[in-house]
Amino acid sequence: MEVRNNPAYSHLTSGEMEELIDKLYEQEVKRLGLDKPFLYRSFIYLKNALTLELGRAQYLTSDSGSRNVRNIILERLPATVLLFTTANLIIFVIGLFGGLFLSRRYGSKLDKVIVTLSPLSSIPGWFYGIFLILIFASWFHLLPYGGFVDAPPPKDSLNYALSVMKHMILPVISWLISYSLIEIYVRRTFFLMFSNEDYVEMAKAKGVPPRMIERRYILRPTLPPIITSFALTLISSWMGAIITERVFNWPGIGSLFYMAASIFDSPVIIGEVVIYAYLLGLTVFVLDVIYALIDPRIRVGGA
Amino acid sequence: MLRKTVSTCLLLILVASIVISMLPAPTVAQEIPQGPWVDEIIFSEEPDMAKAITRLEEGDLHTYFYGLTDPDLFRRIKISPELWYTFSYGSYNELTFNPVGPEFPATGKLNPFSVPRIREAMNYLIDRKYIAEEICGGLAVPRYTALTPSFPDYARLVDTVREIEVEYSYDLEKARAIISEEMEKLGAELVDGKWYYKGEPVTLIFLIRVEDERREIGDYVSAQLEKVGFTVDRQYKTSAEAAPLWILGDPADGKWHIYTGGWVTTVIARDQSYNFDFFYTPRGLPFPLWQAYTPDPEFDEVAKWLGIANYTTWDERNELMRKALRLSMKDSVRVWLVNSITVWTARNELELTCDLAGGFYGARLWPYTIRFKGTVGGTVKIATHTLLIDPWNPVGGSNWIYDQMIIRATYDPSLMADPFTGLYWPQRIKNAEVYVKSGLPVVKTLDWLTLNFVDEITVPTDAWYGWNATTKSIVTAPPGTTAKAKVVVHFEDTLFKNKFHDGTNMSLADFIFNFIITFDRADNASPIYDEAYVPDFESFREVFKGFKIISEDPLVVEYYTDMIYPDAEWIVTEAVDWFDPEMTFGPSPWHMVAIGMLAEQEKKLAFTADKASALEVEWMSYIAGPSIPILEEMLDEAIDTTFIPYKEVLGEYITDAEALARYQALKAWYEDKGHFWVGYGPFYLDSVDPTAKVVVIKAFREHPDKADKWAGFAEPMIPEVSVTAPAIVDQGYETEFTVEITYKGDPYKIEDMDFVKYLIIGPAGEISVVGTATPIKDGEWRITLSANDTLALLLGSNEIEVIASSKLVSIPSSVRASFVVSGLRKEFEGRLEDLEATFDALISQLEETLTNQTALISDLEGEIENLRAALASLSNTVTMLIAVAAISIIIALIGVVMAIRARRLTIT
Repeated sequence: MEVRNNPAYSHLTSGEMEELIDKLYEQEVKRLGLDKPFLYRSFIYLKNALTLELGRAQYLTSDSGSRNVRNIILERLPATVLLFTTANLIIFVIGLFGGLFLSRRYGSKLDKVIVTLSPLSSIPGWFYGIFLILIFASWFHLLPYGGFVDAPPPKDSLNYALSVMKHMILPVISWLISYSLIEIYVRRTFFLMFSNEDYVEMAKAKGVPPRMIERRYILRPTLPPIITSFALTLISSWMGAIITERVFNWPGIGSLFYMAASIFDSPVIIGEVVIYAYLLGLTVFVLDVIYALIDPRIRVGGA
Repeated sequence: MLRKTVSTCLLLILVASIVISMLPAPTVAQEIPQGPWVDEIIFSEEPDMAKAITRLEEGDLHTYFYGLTDPDLFRRIKISPELWYTFSYGSYNELTFNPVGPEFPATGKLNPFSVPRIREAMNYLIDRKYIAEEICGGLAVPRYTALTPSFPDYARLVDTVREIEVEYSYDLEKARAIISEEMEKLGAELVDGKWYYKGEPVTLIFLIRVEDERREIGDYVSAQLEKVGFTVDRQYKTSAEAAPLWILGDPADGKWHIYTGGWVTTVIARDQSYNFDFFYTPRGLPFPLWQAYTPDPEFDEVAKWLGIANYTTWDERNELMRKALRLSMKDSVRVWLVNSITVWTARNELELTCDLAGGFYGARLWPYTIRFKGTVGGTVKIATHTLLIDPWNPVGGSNWIYDQMIIRATYDPSLMADPFTGLYWPQRIKNAEVYVKSGLPVVKTLDWLTLNFVDEITVPTDAWYGWNATTKSIVTAPPGTTAKAKVVVHFEDTLFKNKFHDGTNMSLADFIFNFIITFDRADNASPIYDEAYVPDFESFREVFKGFKIISEDPLVVEYYTDMIYPDAEWIVTEAVDWFDPEMTFGPSPWHMVAIGMLAEQEKKLAFTADKASALEVEWMSYIAGPSIPILEEMLDEAIDTTFIPYKEVLGEYITDAEALARYQALKAWYEDKGHFWVGYGPFYLDSVDPTAKVVVIKAFREHPDKADKWAGFAEPMIPEVSVTAPAIVDQGYETEFTVEITYKGDPYKIEDMDFVKYLIIGPAGEISVVGTATPIKDGEWRITLSANDTLALLLGSNEIEVIASSKLVSIPSSVRASFVVSGLRKEFEGRLEDLEATFDALISQLEETLTNQTALISDLEGEIENLRAALASLSNTVTMLIAVAAISIIIALIGVVMAIRARRLTIT
């Protein structure tokens, strides 16, 4: 269609036009390596995937102009990690200490309020984000509508970092509003379940101080699932949150995935999935090591 | 005392300062700056259109470089006191039909749209006004034909188009009747209001695009099809999902029947004669759908002639167009629906040009006209849907409009595209002479060029014809080379005083470098050979016939070409664009491109995406990313080796010192800005933040032009037309209509108008009279209908439609006015004539009677005369008799007397 609509080619006859299009088509086939046998191509693909040679994007380029899929993804990854690691860390800390706090005050008014409000977490963060933009950007002009940094970006690093932090405030808050309540509720329930275990009752009966009971008898045995959950959430969040990134115009992996999917740029989509798989595998491996360190029931070797 | 004095002085100073501050500041006329009006423009990304409008209203942005077609957003813009808006008209929607059949070979299912009459009937089935007004919320106008209502051909052929619009207006019952007739011929049966074929319902697979208004259009058309008895399988799909079916797939597979097509034209198409060949025949596109088209032989021939411009006069061409228009409706492999109106908006304080086809970002003039009203300087914040999509390099870089809209601000074209007519105006040239072979249908509109027709154009043998990469030498034109056109271009006298952004001066070497590299990249022997470029080059090679420098400074160049356009202005533009210091994708000063050449020669980077993939290196970017350190390395290498590209030729035009000076300037530029993008337009690229998607461009105050050079192009002078019609037009009597053509209340000059046409539309919508108005004075035109014309009008309510086409804008304006055609005067006059005749007859009779009476009277008079004569005679006789009698009496008396005397005598 580019050829047919190009006035430069309008003088060509139909036959010449078709010849030109065939030539361009052949070039494209050659460029994409599709002229080679399938088996041969499969081995090449496997080797490339293992060495993180994720190939070249069909349509997308990285922000700085590279067509290398690895560059495209790695250029976007820091923004996503920065935003969602920050958000998830805060949510994790709030959930952990909030859960502990509530588990101590089971049945209190605050506990009831949190339990009542926790279903609100079924509303995704971006939904709150829209209202936050409306209130803090549109009405009060206190915070930016979105984006990664001010336009034009500050020249010095400190101001640049401050500007990025300013742009992070609303997306992080939107996630906090959405996911903190359920996180507190889940942790609180988790701690309550563990606090009714026999060995906890035994410790209480033995007169062990409550702080020590919490730390040694409740928190420690719950650490492996908590860390697992946290690590997996973190890794998942590194794949970005498509809608949140779109709402806040955050240049992360989520919006990259959206762009790649909308134009069927398969190498980029596959590249993202491959990187996620690698991160997941690595995380599971690291978790295994961590389990051995924090859970006294798990030891290497022995029968 | 001293304290008091001081206090008094202070008080006086305070009062004086307050008074002075309250005095009106002396108004100083702001000097028109060199280069653009504003100091800086910041581009950022805002993919959410609704949010962009909010940010515009809040002043966080000044304009949004993205066209809007959402009626809800348009309503917001319309009522916003902070925003103004304008329109562009380059996109349109249609229904694409699968023409294979009557049965699909793959499925055996019936395809009603294989029958041209059923496709034609679809024109009656669709209410285009409903689509335009209800579905598109007024942001569209109905479209019936292959001609775009906002482009010049529509105005030229408006009478024929209007006839078609009337003939094919919405008529559900007519559609139903035709479809029923044809479906029965196909062997289908209508059972309980549903069509069945071979015992199964006739199900139409409708591919409905979901991204825009086409979703609602698809639903509406489906409902209409269901009304006439079809079963519709609505398949909602995105572009990527639908493309493999409708355009890439074989229509014979029967996987679809109808598709909601959409097209965009980003430049004003001054000649749409190619549309018939493109949209209706297998020559249009090499895809299976087009190859399934089987147009009627007559239509096929007409479309082909128009497609290859096989005509010699405009009249002949227009006649072919009229024929093609009518035949295309009979064919109807696509049914046109609406022409979309795209909305562009900005804050009230901002002013800029909007291209009538391409909108804000498509207007080549936007960097030259953007300004804050009544102010010089300032920073403009522009958001767009997306930014920095592909790498920027002038040879084979990003062609995305979102990148090009910024790139274009960094270099001057030699000729500037008129955003309202699609013609070209000189920017870096003074004038041009165009010589065209006699018999070719070329016209010129503007005064900066001359057009001459000659019998033959022979290319001189010393004209440059190509480049030999092996011998590294210029190839001259072979003897006997001829061309269809010769263009002599006189560049500005000060051309080589113009500066690039890095402070160096433009020179003849920049032109010659661009000449050589055009050929070099397509030569297999060249280290920068790029096979992806070859197809492009071949089409250029076919039409390029010669290049001859007549004068070096001021620069005068002859171009020889076989590239012909109907507008001579386009022929000049095409020729000049070949070798001036701009390539397809950006500015190309030789020293800037040279470092890229070095990188490609050393296989470290590549200009085009294809070559980059083939070499497995990065696609070259002059502004950011992994290319930058490589280009820096190449620049150092160029400085170290005093690299002069194509030294065998350019060595005559560039000294080592000049080359070093250029590279040093580029080095300084890179150290200051961090990129290698050097242009010569009104703005230079200041900074790029690829991650944040922010681009900053700043005013280049050494630009050769003042900011007001293109001030007249801030807004299109679309004529405002009104027509005054008499309330009653009497059949058989001459009558006049007055047409007023103005722009913002001022009369539109006669010389700025192309034509003013009128159509008289009868009570049933039929066109009864077509003609052109006569200019009376600026802003006033007159339409005179002769007695014969009015006699041809039908009684009742008629309309006059006036279509005014200006030379300053491509969009024709039209207006309608109603009037009543009355036959009473004629009837009265007929009756009067009858009466007159009766009276005449009576009078004649009377006169005859009178004549008879007169004759009688004459006779009587004669008789009387006779009588009189007789009487007179009698009288004479009587008189005589009396006389005789008297005499006799006298005699008798005498006798008596004598007798008596005698007796007396006797007696006596």
